[in-house]
Amino acid sequence: MLGSPMGLLGPCWVRWHCVRKSTPQCGSVVEEERRARANDREYNEKFQYASNCIKTSKYNILTFLPVNLFEQFQEVANTYFLFLLILQLIPQISSLSWFTTIVPLVLVLTITAVKDATDDYFRHKSDNQVNNRQSQVLINGILQQEQWMNVCVGDIIKLENNQFVAADLLLLSSSEPHGLCYIETAELDGETNMKVRQAIPVTSELGDISKLAKFDGEVICEPPNNKLDKFSGTLYWKENKFSLSNQNMLLRGCVLRNTEWCFGLVIFAGPDTKLMQNSGRTKFKRTSIDRLMNTLVLWIFGFLVCMGVILAIGNAIWEHEVGTRFQVYLPWDEAVDSAFFSGFLSFWSYIIILNTVVPISLYVSVEVIRLGHSYFINWDKKMFCMKKRTPAEARTTTLNEELGQVEYIFSDKTGTLTQNIMVFNKCSINGHSYGDVFDVLGHKAELGERPEPIDFSFNPLADKKFLFWDPSLLEAVKMGDPHTHEFFRLLSLCHTVMSEEKNEGELYYKAQSPDEGALVTAARNFGFVFRSRTPKTITVHEMGIAITYQLLAILDFNNIRKRMSVIVRNPEGKIRLYCKGADTLLLDRLHQSTHELLSATMDHLNEYAGEGLRTLVLAYKDLDDDYYEEWAERRLQASLAQDNREDRLASIYEEVESDMMLLGATAIEDKLQQGVPETIALLTLANIKIWVLTGDKQETAVNIGYSCKMLTDDMTEVFIVTGHTVLEVREELRKAREKMMDSSRAVGNGCSYQEKLSSSRLASVLDAVAGEYALVINGHSLAHALEADMELEFLETACACKAVICCRVTPLQKAQVVELVKKYKKAVTLAIGDGANDVSMIKTAHIGVGISGQEGIQAVLASDYSFSQFKFLQRLLLVHGRWSYLRMCKFLCYFFYKNFAFTMVHFWFGFFCGFSAQTVYDQYFITLYNIVYTSLPVLAMGVFDQDVPEQRSMEYPKLYEPGQLNLLFNKREFFICIAQGIYTSVLMFFIPYGVFSEATRDDGTQLADYQSFAVTVATSLVIVVSVQIGLDTGYWTAINHFFIWGSLAVYFAILFAMHSNGLFDMFPNQFRFVGNAQNTLAQPTVWLTIVLTTVVCIMPVVAFRFLRLNLKPDLSDTVRYTQLVRKKQKAQHRCMRRVGRTGSRRSGYAFSHQEGFGELIMSGKNMRLSSLALSSFTTRSSSSWIESLRRKKSDSASSPGGVAEKPLKG
Amino acid sequence: MKELPDHHLSRMPDNTAIKQQNLPAHQLYFSAKVVFSIFVGTGIFCLCMGVILLLSAKNTKKIEINYTKICANCAEFRENAFNFDKECNCSIAFYLPEKMEGNVYMYYKLYGFYQNLYRYSQSRSNNQLVGEDIKDVEDCAPFKVSHNGTPIAPCGAIANSMFNDTIVLSYKHTSSMSVKVPMLKNELTWWTDKYVKFQNPRFTDLSSKFVGSTKPPNWPKPIYDLDKSNPDNNGFLNDDFIVWMRTAAFPTFKKLYRRLYRIHYFTEGLPAGNYSFNISYNFPVTSFGGQKSVVLSTLTWCGGGCFFLGVAYTVTGALTWLASFVLMAIHLTWKRKKVTYQEQSHAL
Repeated sequence: MLGSPMGLLGPCWVRWHCVRKSTPQCGSVVEEERRARANDREYNEKFQYASNCIKTSKYNILTFLPVNLFEQFQEVANTYFLFLLILQLIPQISSLSWFTTIVPLVLVLTITAVKDATDDYFRHKSDNQVNNRQSQVLINGILQQEQWMNVCVGDIIKLENNQFVAADLLLLSSSEPHGLCYIETAELDGETNMKVRQAIPVTSELGDISKLAKFDGEVICEPPNNKLDKFSGTLYWKENKFSLSNQNMLLRGCVLRNTEWCFGLVIFAGPDTKLMQNSGRTKFKRTSIDRLMNTLVLWIFGFLVCMGVILAIGNAIWEHEVGTRFQVYLPWDEAVDSAFFSGFLSFWSYIIILNTVVPISLYVSVEVIRLGHSYFINWDKKMFCMKKRTPAEARTTTLNEELGQVEYIFSDKTGTLTQNIMVFNKCSINGHSYGDVFDVLGHKAELGERPEPIDFSFNPLADKKFLFWDPSLLEAVKMGDPHTHEFFRLLSLCHTVMSEEKNEGELYYKAQSPDEGALVTAARNFGFVFRSRTPKTITVHEMGIAITYQLLAILDFNNIRKRMSVIVRNPEGKIRLYCKGADTLLLDRLHQSTHELLSATMDHLNEYAGEGLRTLVLAYKDLDDDYYEEWAERRLQASLAQDNREDRLASIYEEVESDMMLLGATAIEDKLQQGVPETIALLTLANIKIWVLTGDKQETAVNIGYSCKMLTDDMTEVFIVTGHTVLEVREELRKAREKMMDSSRAVGNGCSYQEKLSSSRLASVLDAVAGEYALVINGHSLAHALEADMELEFLETACACKAVICCRVTPLQKAQVVELVKKYKKAVTLAIGDGANDVSMIKTAHIGVGISGQEGIQAVLASDYSFSQFKFLQRLLLVHGRWSYLRMCKFLCYFFYKNFAFTMVHFWFGFFCGFSAQTVYDQYFITLYNIVYTSLPVLAMGVFDQDVPEQRSMEYPKLYEPGQLNLLFNKREFFICIAQGIYTSVLMFFIPYGVFSEATRDDGTQLADYQSFAVTVATSLVIVVSVQIGLDTGYWTAINHFFIWGSLAVYFAILFAMHSNGLFDMFPNQFRFVGNAQNTLAQPTVWLTIVLTTVVCIMPVVAFRFLRLNLKPDLSDTVRYTQLVRKKQKAQHRCMRRVGRTGSRRSGYAFSHQEGFGELIMSGKNMRLSSLALSSFTTRSSSSWIESLRRKKSDSASSPGGVAEKPLKG
Repeated sequence: MKELPDHHLSRMPDNTAIKQQNLPAHQLYFSAKVVFSIFVGTGIFCLCMGVILLLSAKNTKKIEINYTKICANCAEFRENAFNFDKECNCSIAFYLPEKMEGNVYMYYKLYGFYQNLYRYSQSRSNNQLVGEDIKDVEDCAPFKVSHNGTPIAPCGAIANSMFNDTIVLSYKHTSSMSVKVPMLKNELTWWTDKYVKFQNPRFTDLSSKFVGSTKPPNWPKPIYDLDKSNPDNNGFLNDDFIVWMRTAAFPTFKKLYRRLYRIHYFTEGLPAGNYSFNISYNFPVTSFGGQKSVVLSTLTWCGGGCFFLGVAYTVTGALTWLASFVLMAIHLTWKRKKVTYQEQSHAL
């Protein structure tokens, strides 16, 4: 089970000459700055930095036993039982043998230890897997294959395309010109568009190994921290200082893309990397039932002490009144000198014999049930993803019932809701819409019933993976429709995509955003193949003919313009401007003459937007030479201006991008994962609130909000909070609240907002808001909203909204939002995500779900449950979660009931045995009652029970509500169970008492001997609790039958065995009940007593259940009833109403695009020198583009982003 | 699918009923029909049982005479510890108005004697009583050994406190002649007690079996001398001893003392008439506030004294019937509302 010793010891111990460094927490000095010198391990070892080995496991083979036992005894329950065990070893007070406690205790400890060991083994395995990944390290001037864990700070490592970055690196040089390299940061922040990193110029020349081996620069930088987009440091090399920023860093978790190789200097390794610093500490998660159970156990313990005190007082009085005089027959123990002391001892004795009200098997049974439920999740075929071949996995086994109580879901967007695949889906060209597929009858065909996609074989350069179904578009292209041609020409020209052609005809596009990639690929397949570009030209294969356009200008995209244009001169010498951009901005800049076309296109745009597609409008404009010359001159002037350069350029761009001719529109589908809108709709019906927290941009996030039906056009208003300062944010939130209040006041809920605030109760002032609202908040605003004085306002506002979308949030903010809801809403939260940026949120939420089957596994490793598609969430919650909750509640109710019924009999008996701590039952019965006689039927119920079939819980999402409201097991239910238990115990004692005090056996001998009484009570107890579990079991499978009847059979078998002559002959002192079973159970009186007790205990329960069914049936009862009644009829299921498809919403410019690429292209800096005509290399813009690119980056980082990642508490 | 490697397919969960949670099962539902039939059925059963039990209880005859205080000054006499070896006899005359037919059993009944105290009931050595090891007095505190250290046989508080009154029943056949009612002192115990749980040590001579042990402090005579009339009824196998050693569950209990030997006048049972108990009053009860009495009783099929059961069954039966009517009424009045509720819920 523990695997090989090596497995447990872990790779961290088998360290090669890297020195192990204590983690910052336990290190003696807090690191103030970090120094790392390249290629100088001896120097770096002095600082004892953490190695690149990560460790998420808790134990190794030596520490397992002590640490695990220590942890287990931190559990109150285990300590309590240890304490009891010690008490039982004192002969004066022990009326029970030590084995009644030690057997279950050892059982419990062993089971838990085995489970912990297994969990840890898997953690070791995954640690090993990550630590043993290979990377190439430059050692002594030679590149060597080395495992990740052996990489040290100061090492230079080589990365190749598509490799994960092993540690936080300072980029030194790369295969691309100017030390550029492209990375994908999805693991870190969820953004999938590529990002550019650049080495500082002095190091970018260190292209070959010999130069690198001589590199001995020293980096002095900030200590490890969790800020993903900030880095400050200085490189000292050859007596020069070079300042370093985040732009030069490659962080662990990123993936190198479109870059053949690069070299980097390790700055932070292992636990010090920003990724690991961001992952937060693993918290031990407890379910609310756990917490309730602990409270209840404390109450029961209090109750136990009360009973002990009552009985102790009784004992003292009895000893004083009767016991002293009874000393003729039973002198007091030598140690006992007074009735008072005797009472004191009897208190402890009663604590021991009544301890079964808190049975130790409770905890282990709960664990077993949860384990069973976890296996059901793992085994569920309906949560198995055929495409990715991944089953669902319950990675923690302790949270299952919490799945039935979820109220808030926090979801990541990219990779979770969406597949992160952009698909060119539809387009509108010259007022004609393409892309819809109609079946034979003329209906719009749905996915799955579509015919074959159209054949692009005419085009040798086509991308095989591109699929399009509407053949009419291809026909239009082949017919030579000029509009269509112009449309695709635009798509092939107006973009910042780079192409790469490794072999003839094998084109690879390096798109900076997937949207652009999709558009250019679409054009490529329809015969307008973007082939290559130079800073001054673009070569396009138009229907097989290579045409080279002269690229005159790129009017780049930015957040305000929300459009981009190119100005090209075609081979005929005509200058044309092509523009694509957000409809809202572009439509105002069109020429009057396009009015008619405009309205048709608008209709299409609305249609597309209603389907949740990302739309772009395409337009062109012819420019005459003179105008262009004049314009270009002005542009040059503007770009050289010292002040207000941006504004000047913007106005010049603005000027040329006017009076354009409309070409059409494109619709790109940000492909949602399968079934996302349906799942969200269903979960919403189940009263679960869904918040989307994404690192993506606002437009993208809102767009997805619409396409997955979180946001709808029916909503009264969508509030967008984008304030940059505290005051702005506060004002925006206040306005939003006021609007909601106004509307609800208008409905008649007239109570002023001020009044409510002054009452200072969070208690959902805004719960009764009329109308549906949604809130969209930006990361930088969220930073303010999460500050201590505003978080309540934010929460209140957000919770009043039906949908909440937070965009541009950092991983830490995600966790803070979750924490906020957890803190004030007392609701169960679930976080679902796929990337490393979701890890903190997954760990913070009550339940963390990771989407598996993606490239990164960080999220899955941190999660409690993992599966590969978002849609499985509905099944996880509505079926598995709901059942788990139901089963756990029924289990707990029954468990407390059966133990009170069992134990309280001792209490009543105390009044008839001089409070002498005499047990009612045989001690073997006491030992075995919980672990043998009554454990399996209730376990079977806890594992297998179902109230309604799984399909029903999907059909009636309202069935989920009892879990959220905590209806099935709460303090009230607990008291009902306890009351029932006590009622049973009263009857269990007094009916046999009444019978036995008079009756004799049928052969005249005494019936009322202690042993017969014990057997009678025990037998009727076992029968009553078995009948009760029979009533509680709603779903009688063969297993339930087997366990219930089996338990009864086992009871009688063990009873007869224990009372047999054989055992007595061997151990006369241990088996004192010899002959009891056959003598007692042969008596009709005894059986009549048992039957009477059973009837009296059970009938009221049946009556109450029946009454509740009649007077106050809950939904599940009704569903079950309907099912029973309509078994033959085919019930008409209410399918979920399909959410309306039409809408009037306008899409924004949905590019996940960055500005700056246009400049990059025009400067030619990112092109390989080989592919460039050297002659066209102009000196004018030598390296200014890099400067301006960097400046723009830092601007954008310091203004909005800078506020967002201001250090947030926590 | 076929070209995929096996390890991929192996991740696919099995399609078995148990793993997919669709085992064939029976759903429990409290439909009106089932509930009413349960209630009516149970009601009928309980009422019938109750009536039968009450009738049988009526047929049993029972007479109880409390002789704690009746026996002149014996009670006070016994409270004085110095008189432990002196006899105190008394005779109690009573009249039996109706004859007691069939087997008649004579019990002694103690009030307020706590045989169920934890330390008391543990204070015995089964090892010793089964004749294995006469010196095993491990569990017998506080009566393990005598003052001089010899192990006590039978040891322990239970044996030490054994009931030792002798009760003899006499029948005044005529005004002058009084006959001693013949009583059996065997078969007073369970078979398993007599033949399994209690065994004398394996020696031929009874008294030598107990060599090396001493009598319990309260006992006037040693264990092998309990029944002088019947040598087999001695040692640990003495019926009265075994009966006493089977400790009672409650502080008030009766234990079988003798059975009527149905010969001569008594073949039919005890005829009506004048009787008297001649009691040798040895067992002190007043010291701890207890009482003792002697009981004569006959039996029916369910043993003696099934009155409580009879009443309990009758009451339960009656309540069950009542409950079933109430439930029926509620069910019928609410049926309408339930239907409308369902319609609502279907509209969900």
